Amino acid sequence: MAISKKVILVGHFGVGKTSLIRRFVHQKFSDDYLTTIGVKIDKKVLQVDDMEVTLIIWDIAGETNQAKIPKSYQLGAHGVLYVFDITRPSTYQNLHEQLDYLKGVLPNAPVEIIANKKDLISEEKQEEVLNEIALEGIRTSSAKTGESVEEIFEALAKAMVS
Amino acid sequence: MAQNPGFDQLRKILLEQDREEREELAKKLSELDDQLNSRDKLELRVDPILNDYEQHLKEKFSYLFGPQITESISKQIKDSQDEVVEVLYPIIGRMIKKYITNEIQKLSEKVDQQMELAFSWEGWKIRIKAWFTGTPQKELMISKLIEPKIEEIFVIERDSGIVMGTFSRKESVDQDMVAGMLTAIKAFVEDAFTKEKQELESIDYENYKIVLKSFKSFFIAVVTSGGMSMAFRDKLDDQLIDFADKVLKNARSESDESEEDQLSGRLAEFFNEFENGDK
Ligand SMILES: Nc1nc2c(ncn2[C@@H]2O[C@H](COP(=O)(O)OP(=O)(O)OP(=O)(O)O)[C@@H](O)[C@H]2O)c(=O)[nH]1
Ligand SMILES: [Mg+2]
Repeated sequence: MAISKKVILVGHFGVGKTSLIRRFVHQKFSDDYLTTIGVKIDKKVLQVDDMEVTLIIWDIAGETNQAKIPKSYQLGAHGVLYVFDITRPSTYQNLHEQLDYLKGVLPNAPVEIIANKKDLISEEKQEEVLNEIALEGIRTSSAKTGESVEEIFEALAKAMVS
Repeated sequence: MAQNPGFDQLRKILLEQDREEREELAKKLSELDDQLNSRDKLELRVDPILNDYEQHLKEKFSYLFGPQITESISKQIKDSQDEVVEVLYPIIGRMIKKYITNEIQKLSEKVDQQMELAFSWEGWKIRIKAWFTGTPQKELMISKLIEPKIEEIFVIERDSGIVMGTFSRKESVDQDMVAGMLTAIKAFVEDAFTKEKQELESIDYENYKIVLKSFKSFFIAVVTSGGMSMAFRDKLDDQLIDFADKVLKNARSESDESEEDQLSGRLAEFFNEFENGDK
């Protein structure tokens, strides 16, 4: 069986949304920062059990406040990756509030919370940040090394089809 | 003056009767009083009448009050034209605007074509060729214009941008991606111009024109090449509405095919009809 799902990547500016997609879809990474304007669409097919899941991935321009993003970008999404930069507190300080907002817009979509750029800080520091945020199920990742990237998209795909 | 016994007698008889009548009257009065002051009893009597009247009113309402109501409404409208215009303007305005632009474009296209052909060297060439070859001039003219053509049709779920069905002359692009991008563009444009509440209707891209037709839960994108004329656009518009009406509403028929395959099959049919149907 084949099925298509819309996935959106959201979060503040420069947290690595585009880089995560680049890594996941094209197995590439670049240190250059080219901010995304508007939205960019990408696609990748994943196999989840006996199901072929086509992810239509919407890379949405970074925004500190999700409410400022055109709602129609978010609407219809079957799954959400909320990405923050584990080295920059400002990108996760309003996390709870942002997640609440997204839950309001997309009550049925599973959300994965990603602490990206883990390659930049030590394990201890990561623990500290995660304890500070105090939220279950946050996944750490690095678009640069590729660590956990595949797993994150797979987990979301699984959550969307179940 | 002595009383006449006969007179007395008479008076007695008369008064007797008088008294009886008075008593009767008093009784009736008290009954009536009772009826009037006791709600239950009064209702018993009055209700049937009221019911009848109510029925009568219902049946004859428009006949009895129609003219007055109409008059009072039209008077209110007359007295508050500004408010009425305020309410209706956006709706009517949009309709009229659309209609007029359509018509003007059609007209101007016709005029343009006529003028260009009539005065251009091209026009003379056609005329001369028609004289020599005996082919009707009209046909030669038409063949001169690049016929608009449908290249691809997408039926796309409205918010998610997921492809519901496609038809394509040639498998050229990644349809999932195109559908997603079209949805994003549409979302962006419609969001940027929210004041007008208009839907994005077409996108020009190099030699292609993508015509968009929105329905409630999905939209149809038709990629066309060639010179898009208003007449073509009109025909497309009409047919798409028909198509959406007929096919999508009873799309969930009993069949082993996936919904996407079914829809794509219908799109191919639609395309063939469009191409080969009345021109
Ligand atoms: N070291 C490191 N750098 C990263 C990582 N992910 C992204 N970057 C860098 O961070 C910068 C921003 O990355 P982008 O992927 O463009 O961020 P974005 O979230 O798409 O940003 P906007 O489009 O502006 O919202 C770039 O210079 C990337 O190279 C990571 O995991 N580790
Ligand atoms: Mg980006």
